[in-house]
Amino acid sequence: MKKEPCFQFKANFLPCAVLQILSDDWTHFDQQLTDAVRKAPSFFLNLPVVIDLDKISAVEQINFLHLKELLVAHQMVPLGVRGGSDAQHQLAEANSLSLLPGGKLSNFDKKQDKKEELILLTKLVTTPVRSGMQIYARDGDLIVTASVSAGAEVLADGNVHIYGPLRGRVLAGVTGNLQARIFCDALEAELVSIAGYYLTKDDCQKQALSPGMKQIYLENEHVRIEMIQPQRVPAEMV
Amino acid sequence: MTKTIVITSGKGGVGKTTTSASFAVGLATRGYKTAVVDFDIGLRNLDLIMGCERRVVYDFVNVIRKEANLNQALIRDKHIKELFILPASQTRDKDALTVEGVAEVLAELSKTFDYIVCDSPAGIERGAQLAMYFADSAIVVTNPEVSSVRDSDRMLGLLSSKTKRAEDGRDKITEHLLLTRYSPKRVARGDMLSLSDVNEILAIPLLGVIPESQAVLRASNSGDPVILDKDSDAGQAYLDAVARFLGENVSHRFIEEERNWLKRLLNFKKEVV
Ligand SMILES: Nc1ncnc2c1ncn2[C@@H]1O[C@H](COP(=O)(O)OP(=O)(O)O)[C@@H](O)[C@H]1O
Ligand SMILES: [Mg+2]
Repeated sequence: MKKEPCFQFKANFLPCAVLQILSDDWTHFDQQLTDAVRKAPSFFLNLPVVIDLDKISAVEQINFLHLKELLVAHQMVPLGVRGGSDAQHQLAEANSLSLLPGGKLSNFDKKQDKKEELILLTKLVTTPVRSGMQIYARDGDLIVTASVSAGAEVLADGNVHIYGPLRGRVLAGVTGNLQARIFCDALEAELVSIAGYYLTKDDCQKQALSPGMKQIYLENEHVRIEMIQPQRVPAEMV
Repeated sequence: MTKTIVITSGKGGVGKTTTSASFAVGLATRGYKTAVVDFDIGLRNLDLIMGCERRVVYDFVNVIRKEANLNQALIRDKHIKELFILPASQTRDKDALTVEGVAEVLAELSKTFDYIVCDSPAGIERGAQLAMYFADSAIVVTNPEVSSVRDSDRMLGLLSSKTKRAEDGRDKITEHLLLTRYSPKRVARGDMLSLSDVNEILAIPLLGVIPESQAVLRASNSGDPVILDKDSDAGQAYLDAVARFLGENVSHRFIEEERNWLKRLLNFKKEVV
């Protein structure tokens, strides 16, 4: 009997984009998409795309086949749809687009009222994140006031703030937010990543970093680490 | 109120069983009625260390399967009358333990015992999780090396999420760090992590440091837990740890390398100048 496992499930977050459809005027749609891709071709190349139908849920007959072809023609990878109406879902599935969780109108997560949603946006963790643990702040920021051990992983769709020693993996903007940042103090991370762009521990150690608060952000597809200098008021101004 | 203590580590061979045996003896010597339970089904080590292997008739699994009652399976310690051992089965596999079965046995032990010491198997699988599931306190046994520290860190993560206390939202398990097989000489040489290295990573209260000691091997061979060897360094370190566990204020020993007086004097002078 074969004892070695044949596969392994890994928790993973691949950067993907949510394409919110605002109009089904496909001619204009194609023009605008061509413009967008021209500006940042490497961003769109093989980019997994989730089609969000929330803003167009009133339109029942969406030509999903054509939409799919448009995306593929621009080298993107349509994953499926989210949000929208049941009729749209049936049509999407008939066109081999899967129904994905998320989206405000979707049955997967009905968020009752706006207020609750706002409170949920930031996730706060006050106890150590130990080896083997994974913490994910979906749709928002993550604040950790304790340590993140080697072998632990913290992720957020938004920014990640870490106030204890950082020795594990930290990923901000995991669903593709290029503006997301990581804020931390003691940086001994195994990996830091913004929207899928990353630095390994060795990369981090090459930059002789002094103690103190740092921010990590994306600039022209490069992950930068920068000391946050306290703003000193010049003497003559006091 | 009965207190259930799990002796855990993640990594194997770090000194969990040695610690379970000595801790149980230490608590019982202080007059607390103590049961020590071997959760390492299939290996059965605890009864050897406790020197009662020849008296094992029924075991933990027999009790869970209702093939014997608890009193038939409990073995009274040869030295201390307050101490009882519930041995593991050597012939069954790990799946023989069930949550309900363990819950029932621990509940019954709680009727008569002050302390229940659970000797956890290695790993992070079912057996180890069952050993910690009902615990009130955890003694995390760690050796001063990177892989052991990492595994202990992982156990601390499980202790904060995968235990009954955590699930019920009660006060969290009290965590204690026991650093074992510590050799100040090897720390000085840089072969081992130092106490402060380990403390910085795990950041939980230190219960004690047990030195690497020949006395442990001698104790295992004779079937008398090392805490009974009161002249040995490891025996004294375990006595100290039990005292600290019971809330006594005992300063830490066996942390520094022994230096000769001349070296000490020279160092002292240097500091004065
Ligand atoms: N302080 C110590 N000094 C020397 N040897 C030790 C010490 N603690 C444990 N050992 C030895 O390490 C081995 C593993 O110990 P054990 O208690 O069985 O570990 P575990 O239960 O974690 O697998 C045994 O051979 C034991 O004698
Ligand atoms: Mg053992």
